[in-house]
Amino acid sequence: MLTERELQISPIAQDSVIHNTKVLTTLRGLTASLFGVGAGILGLESYPGFIFYLVFSLLTSALVYAFRVRPTISQDISGQASLKRYFRGSMELWTGGLFDGLSGFVLTWTLFYGLVRA
Amino acid sequence: MTWISKSVTGLGLVLLAHACYSAHEHSALHSISTASISSVASHGSSTPAVASLPLDIVIETVVAIFAVCVGLVLGTPDLRPIEWRVWAGKIEREGERGFLTGDGEVEKDYIGNPFKVLEIRPGFVDIRKQRKEFAAWVREGGGTPKK
Repeated sequence: MLTERELQISPIAQDSVIHNTKVLTTLRGLTASLFGVGAGILGLESYPGFIFYLVFSLLTSALVYAFRVRPTISQDISGQASLKRYFRGSMELWTGGLFDGLSGFVLTWTLFYGLVRA
Repeated sequence: MTWISKSVTGLGLVLLAHACYSAHEHSALHSISTASISSVASHGSSTPAVASLPLDIVIETVVAIFAVCVGLVLGTPDLRPIEWRVWAGKIEREGERGFLTGDGEVEKDYIGNPFKVLEIRPGFVDIRKQRKEFAAWVREGGGTPKK
């Protein structure tokens, strides 16, 4: 977390922070429902189901890193850019919105488990 | 949502629907066959633990999920830099062109230069600079086309 002094030296545009968080949260909610469909089809039970969700959520974050963060960093001329350019901490990218998506995941998981298992 | 993200997502959804239907048919078939076997053997308790989903359905499901994931990630809008100086520099250099969605239109919550109201105040207009810019623009072929 940045200190007050660091915020005075290099301020943060709140507009951009809100936009980035919104992008991540929307994506997580959508993919959480999708992973629920997959877990229901595969017929996963308790622990393997949640592990499935965690693994695929991390995979989604890796995809976001590869497609949205990496290309702009390589375009930066000074070569100093990093993940800090778009998110205040790396934890925000990897674990942001995980628990919000969990309820959507469980919803579609139980739905499709019941549907597919006749 | 660009066209490539839409097509990849659509393809993934089709695969997923196929896998879902296949799994449903498999479990229906399995439950019918175990029901007939158990009626022959006349045992009471048949808990259909269908852990025997065939491998190709499993692979198809995983591939479909991955495809929809990739499609959704490709359809997200670009991230914006959060350091104020980088963001302000981007607006100055690229203007609206740096904030386009996949369809080529400007994003709806693009504010632009936050000090624009201050810069266009009539008492602070730099008329000589604007005259020079206008002359350069006319020289480069802007304005009314010559007949």
